[in-house]
Formats: sequence, C-alpha cells, structure tokens
Amino acid sequence: MPFNSIDFAIFLPVVFILYWFVANKNLKIQNLFIVAASYLFYGWWDWRFLLSILFITIVDYFVGLGLSREKNETKRRFLFYTGILVNLGFLGFFKYYNFFLDNFVTAFSFLGIEIKAQSLDIILPVGISFYTFKVLSYIIDVYKKQLEPATDFVAYSAFVAFFPQLVAGPIDRGTTLLPQFHKERVFDYNKAVDGLRQILWGLFKKMVIADNCAEFANLIFNNSTEYPGSILLLGVFFFAFQIYGDFSGYSDIAIGISRLFGFDLMKNFAFPYFSRDIGEFWRRWHISLSNWLRDYVFFPLRRKLLRQKSLPGWAVQFLPPLVTMLVSGIWHGANWTFVLWGALHGIYLIVENSLKPVADRFFEKSSSKIVSGLYRGFQIGFTFALVCFGWIFFRADNLAHAMSILAKIFSGSLILLPYYDWQENAKALIILIMFFLCVEWLGKEDQYAVERLGLNWPRPVRWVFYSSIIFLIGMFVQTTEVPFLYFRF
Amino acid sequence: MYSLFIILWGNYAPDTLKKNLNYPLGSYGHMYSRIQNIKEARDVDILVLGSSHAYRGFDPRIFKQHGLNTFNLGSSAQSHLQTEILLKRHLDEIDPKLIIYEVYAGTFSSDGVESSLDIIANDKNDFESIKMALAQNHIKVYNALIYGFYRDVFRKNINYKEELVKGEDTYIEGGFVEKELRYFEHMGFEENGWNLKGRQYEYFERVLLLIKERDIPVILVQAPITESMYTSFRNNSEFDAKMKQYGVYYNFNELMELDDEVHFYNSHHLNQNGVEIFNTKLIEILFEKGESTNTP
Repeated sequence: MPFNSIDFAIFLPVVFILYWFVANKNLKIQNLFIVAASYLFYGWWDWRFLLSILFITIVDYFVGLGLSREKNETKRRFLFYTGILVNLGFLGFFKYYNFFLDNFVTAFSFLGIEIKAQSLDIILPVGISFYTFKVLSYIIDVYKKQLEPATDFVAYSAFVAFFPQLVAGPIDRGTTLLPQFHKERVFDYNKAVDGLRQILWGLFKKMVIADNCAEFANLIFNNSTEYPGSILLLGVFFFAFQIYGDFSGYSDIAIGISRLFGFDLMKNFAFPYFSRDIGEFWRRWHISLSNWLRDYVFFPLRRKLLRQKSLPGWAVQFLPPLVTMLVSGIWHGANWTFVLWGALHGIYLIVENSLKPVADRFFEKSSSKIVSGLYRGFQIGFTFALVCFGWIFFRADNLAHAMSILAKIFSGSLILLPYYDWQENAKALIILIMFFLCVEWLGKEDQYAVERLGLNWPRPVRWVFYSSIIFLIGMFVQTTEVPFLYFRF
Repeated sequence: MYSLFIILWGNYAPDTLKKNLNYPLGSYGHMYSRIQNIKEARDVDILVLGSSHAYRGFDPRIFKQHGLNTFNLGSSAQSHLQTEILLKRHLDEIDPKLIIYEVYAGTFSSDGVESSLDIIANDKNDFESIKMALAQNHIKVYNALIYGFYRDVFRKNINYKEELVKGEDTYIEGGFVEKELRYFEHMGFEENGWNLKGRQYEYFERVLLLIKERDIPVILVQAPITESMYTSFRNNSEFDAKMKQYGVYYNFNELMELDDEVHFYNSHHLNQNGVEIFNTKLIEILFEKGESTNTP
C-alpha cells in the first residue's frame, strides 16, 4: 500500500496505536508486531511477495549465524559467497532474467544463429532491489567481522522487513539499524512531532511537486515525436523534479514514519540539485545507495587495483568510478538506458576528477567575491544541466527513444516556442517549483527542508505555515493515483 | 484553517492555480438558469431527468405543441448520485405527472464529479451536498463544497445573472439548451464495451425507489447517439436487458434511424434537427402506448 493511499492512512494510525499502547509490553512483542505489520504492509501489494522476503530472511539469518560460528576460513568464504550468490541470484532472476535472455538471443542473431528462448512472465516483487542490498550489506559486514550476527530471529526479521523502508529505502546497514531492534523504544513526543513534520514535507514533495511534474513529463516524453526541442527540454526539467520529489519525498515519509516508531534511519537526500559538481551530487542523491556502492564496490575494487602493480595509473583512477556507476545503472533496471546512464555518470566523475581541481584553483583563488559567487552559481547550474542530460536516458523507453530526444534538443527546434493549451498549467507548476526550491534552499543545512523552518516563529504562525502546506497538497494533489517511481526498482 | 485557505484562494488566486478548486457558477449547460427556472415551473406534466442527453435532447417547445408541459432537470455528465440529490430537493416543487428518465450507459461508469461541481455551484448547498461529497470522496468536490457553503452563507451569488445565450448555446425555458445548428463529421470508433457494474446502479435504484414512493410513473429512455458510436459498443443488448428489468424502457437507437452527419452535432448529442425527430417519435409512442400524462 503506497504511503499516499487511503489504505495506508488507515493502516498507519492503527499500527501506531497498537505499537505504543498494546505491543509495548516488552521488546520481543514490539519487534514481533513490527514483523506482522510489515508483512501485512508488503502482502497488501501481492501476498506472493511475502514468499520472497521470507526466503531472503531465513537464508541470510542462517548465513549470518554460520559465518560467526564457522572458524575454518575456507568454509567461511564458501558460506559467504554462497550467501552472496543466493541473494544476487534471486535478484537477478526476478529482475534481469528476461533482459539477459533477450540480449543473448539478439547477440546470437547478429551472428546469424537463431535461438528459440521463452521469456518468462515474472512478477517483480516490489522493493526487491532495496532489501536485497540491505541484506547483502549485513552478510558482508558479518563476514568482515564488523557486525555481530543477529541471534534473535524476530529482531532480524523486523530489520529486514521494516515497513517504512521496505519498498524504496533508505538502504540502512545492519551496523546502524539492527542494534535499534535490540534496544527498547520509548515514545519521544518531540521525535514523533519531528517525524510528522518530515512526513508532511515528504507528502508535499510527492503529491504536489512530483505528481504534477509527472503529468507534463509523461505527456512530453510519451509524445516526444510531436514536440520541438524546446518542449522536450521542458519535459526533462519536469522529469528532474518528478524524480527528485518522488524519491526524496518517499524517503522523507519513510524516515518520518520511522521516527514515529522510535527509529532513526539514515538521511537519503541532501538537496542534491544544489550540488556544485557530480561528486557532490552523488554524496547528496540516494545517499544510502551511493554509500553502499562506495563501501562495497568502489573501495574494494580500488584496493584490489592498487595492489596490481602492473596496472597503468589511469586504470586505477578510471575503473573504480566507472564500474561503480555501471553497477548503479544496472541496479536501477534491466534496460540499456540505465546502463548508459550509469556509464555517463562514471565518465562525468572521471573527467571531473581531472579538470575540477584546475578550475577550482583558478576561480576560488580569485579575490573577487562576485567572481567566486558567480563561479559557485555556474557550478550549480552546470551540474544540474549534466544531471538532466543523464535523466534523458533514465526516463526514455529505450536507447532509440533517448537518441531521438537528444537529436531534437540539439537541433534548431530548440528555439521554437509553439503554444500548447496545457502551457498555462505548466507555468503554474513552475511557480510551485520555485516556491519549493526557495523552501529547500532556506533549509539546506538541515536534515530536511522544514526541520527547523519556523520553529522560532510564534505558534499560530507556525500552524498557518503547516496548514498552508496541507492546503497546497489539497489544492494540487492529482486525482488519479501516480505510483512512486522507485517502486519499479 | 484549511477552509479559510480555500475561501481566500477561491477569491483571489488566478484560475491556473486552482487545480482542485473548480466552482463553475454559470457553467456550460446553463444549470444555474435551470434551477432558477424551477420556481416558475407550473403544472408540469413530464419531468425529464438525466445527463446532457436530457437537457439537450428533450425540447419543451415540441412537447408543448402536443399539450405537454415538460421540464428538464439534468446537468452535464450527471450521474445517478446527482439525480437523486436534485430529486430530493426539487421533486415536490415540480410535482410532475410522469418522469422520463434518460438512461445512457456511459453515466453508469461515470464518477459524476463534473456534475457534482455543477450542482454545488449552481444550486443551494445543504446536508444532501455533504452526503454527496462523502459518497464521491473526491478532493475537488470537497474543496468546491467548502467554497460553495461560503458563497451561500455570505450570499455571494445573490446578484448573479446568467446569460441565456452563451456562445452557441441558448437556454430555453423549461430547462432545455438549444445549440446552434452544427453537424457531426463522421469518425470511426474502436470497439469497446459498456461497464455494467458499479456503484451508479445502486444510486439508480435509489432514484427509482424515490420516484416510486411518490407514486409517479417513470419511463426509461435511451436517447439516440450516432450509429458509428453506438455500434462500437459490443454489449448494447446486455445494457438493454438490464434496463428492461427496471420497467418500461425504450432504446431509441433501436427504434429509429437517424443520419450521423445530419442529426447530430457530435458523436453522442443530437442537433436541433435530430431533437425534433426524436421528440416527435417519443411523443407518438407516449400517446400510442398510453404513457402520456392523460393515461394513468
């Protein structure tokens, strides 16, 4: 059940009341209740998904225990790689089977060999990419002895299935989240109020910004052959805010809900569109995935390459970011557009690592505040433009679609400004986006934009502000359901 | 606080920023004039209920030529939920001798939001409006209702006068809207099926019960639509069979042949040429079958 649904609006208060007033007798009952609520939440989509999460939970629980009890290093390594393979194999089957099969058949057809292969009608369990990476980090940390394995199956099950973050993250680690299931939770009023504030802001991002941007982004992308380059560029702009509002909104709601239940999840977005370079963008966008890839792909790969004395310097410098971003691309979906998007960001990082130090030395040493201020503004704008360029591949249906859009954007039709009757509504949306960006800019030093905004205001003024956000949701919410984008990952 | 914002926004925000606040006072379809006209309705023989097929398809002037006083109580995309509300408010005042209930399969799968907004803006609001909003559970209806109550309480519409002629539409006393003569340009339709399930059937039955409680005879009539559109639906006979279960029912798509490009102005609305032929045929059937007001 999506966070912005009536079903969830009924589910959450019921679970909240039962959690704090009925299940708070002891820790085990509280954790068991979380498992039950989480399974109900997940099964609401499709009861068959429960088989997937139950399987992963059981396998990884026993792998974790085995890793801590097994003293023989060879057997430990065997158990570790078995755990990794089972999890990745599970994810790979559900997410990539048909993609690999189709490409396998296509590759052989180029050689003139026809292979008859039946693609399967596979239902992708919602959130499988997220919780698979969560449990992978658990296995890796236990193997590296950075984390004690869970011995309480109920607590471990609650950690894996914890409903606020189950279907779209943040991808919390066992090192930070699992201990919270071993500690008694006490209701903290201030924490709960803060959580509600974050939920409200998350709902605004999703229902006002993301869903309204989706209307225009979908209209433009799905009919891209009918629009000139200028309108396609507008579509990319709307998609940029659709995906940001959608995903960061979800994260805000997930984190806010967790705080209602006494849990602290990791921050997942830190105002990424204010980034001054791509490296910073990836430290601010989907932080939980970026950190996961950094710790489990980038650093290990870099260490391994550094040990290879025969490798040229450029290989050590270029391969880790490129491979890491390719993995990121593949994680997002079974389509070459995602692979290309990942590769593009890898190339961005490589070029940036080479050129940025030179540019920074020149502009930041300038004694003129205006010049350095303009440079900072340029950096933010240029980084946003690079990110939007990547979003074209991310959003397009396939490579041909992406290329056709790019061809039009970089053509003479970029300067054409025909009128469409939906443009008045699009202008209104741009006003909303500007308001949104102002609020985000004011709160950019905080965990989320409205964390401290208005806390020093008189209570009536503060309530007017929160009421105005609720009002804007009521005024601009889409009347047909717009699913969260990241559910498809 | 939310209500206050709705009122301020409704009064001062530009239309492009009123995505979910639609208060269509004096809207397309002349609902405001129709409701005001009820006060002047006297000795009504036939009350016509339904959607735009009703208020654009049944011309009181033609019925008058045959000695029948007719009043049209329909609105654009009116679903049976709204029909029930309008009857509860105005049936006793109109007090007809016969009701012709225009039934179009499309209204059974309609959410009726457009009609709800029409009624909220152009008729008085009361507890029935609140029940209607709760039944529809749609943000636009809730927002319009809040704004509608404000406008009713502060009598903001008291001096409003609706133009009888708006563009191609002219309001005719008795609830009819005549469109300037236009002709439909033929187009093909993809094969489709009517949705024969849904909550609207529940409201439809409640309307029939309401009418039955007043001892008013009712006839169900499906007004003609273009043949090209009608034949694109594969389950017309199923819909007919369902309607026949409720009583006397005439499907004029089967009873008469009209020319899509002569008698219609769009795919499912008669132009004035078509209205004349349709109404004449209907009146003929009413007298023939003894279903006019002269026969109990």
